Amino acid sequence: MLNWFKRRKKKRTSYRSNDEWIEDLQNPPDEGAIEDLRNILIRGLKPALAKYVDRELEQFVEDIAQDGLLKILDNIDTFRGESKFTTWAMKIAVREGLTELRRKRYDDISIEDLKPEGEGEEVFSMAVSDDQPGPDRTTHEAQLMEKMKQIIDEELTKKQKQAIQALMVQGLPVSVVAEQMGTNRNALYKVVHDARLKIKNRFEVEGIDPDEMLNDL
Amino acid sequence: MKLSKDLLKKMIRSVKNTKPDEIGCGECFDDLHKFAEMELAGKSPEEALPLVKEHLDRCGNCREEYEALLEAMKNLENSV
Repeated sequence: MLNWFKRRKKKRTSYRSNDEWIEDLQNPPDEGAIEDLRNILIRGLKPALAKYVDRELEQFVEDIAQDGLLKILDNIDTFRGESKFTTWAMKIAVREGLTELRRKRYDDISIEDLKPEGEGEEVFSMAVSDDQPGPDRTTHEAQLMEKMKQIIDEELTKKQKQAIQALMVQGLPVSVVAEQMGTNRNALYKVVHDARLKIKNRFEVEGIDPDEMLNDL
Repeated sequence: MKLSKDLLKKMIRSVKNTKPDEIGCGECFDDLHKFAEMELAGKSPEEALPLVKEHLDRCGNCREEYEALLEAMKNLENSV
């Protein structure tokens, strides 16, 4: 019986239905199916990541396809058949590739001031910049900036200030910041979402209209 | 770090567009393959999955991954 299954798996062409992919990649995974999926990932990843990789694209893509394959196999039981299996698998590999690229790109940034346990430092100093003095900045603009600083100081937790500082001020990718703050991307997004909601609620309580603020700037 | 005028504008816009029911990167990722296939099929994923669309508009990392996924799948389709 087992030999019959093995023979049947070998007959597959590179095209598989979702059910065939799942069957071939589980209990135990079929070598031919793994190789087919690896080739598909490589064919998709190359053009998708080409603009982000300036050298050794082939090697990078092969490494990512391998790492992606492991994640796909680990998570295969979460595939619910809502798309082609290959689209779902490619999604995992693409995220793997871009996360790795971001990690490499920001490998050398200082993480000291992003650590949640960091003490003593003012992590989100919102002092009004004095690099644009003179007539360009009206008193009203300065007041708006002070108001925002006050709201942030009063409403946000230290963690929320750290997250906003890293994401909005420093412009770091959410995946990099999440890793450095010892959390995950989804949780970090929620931290910032909660911060935005707090500021928005405070605007409402104080009768501040964001559109008016934008017009005044 | 100083608060510049541009940063203040960016923050105000971001606050203004905040909604209570936003989804996070994880929930967006859970549906990204469906969203991408609808887009590739010429359907309207933003209507079927509006929260995913809103998240993609807000989150640069997720948007980057979505665009890369589309690019990958288009190339696969063309090479078949």
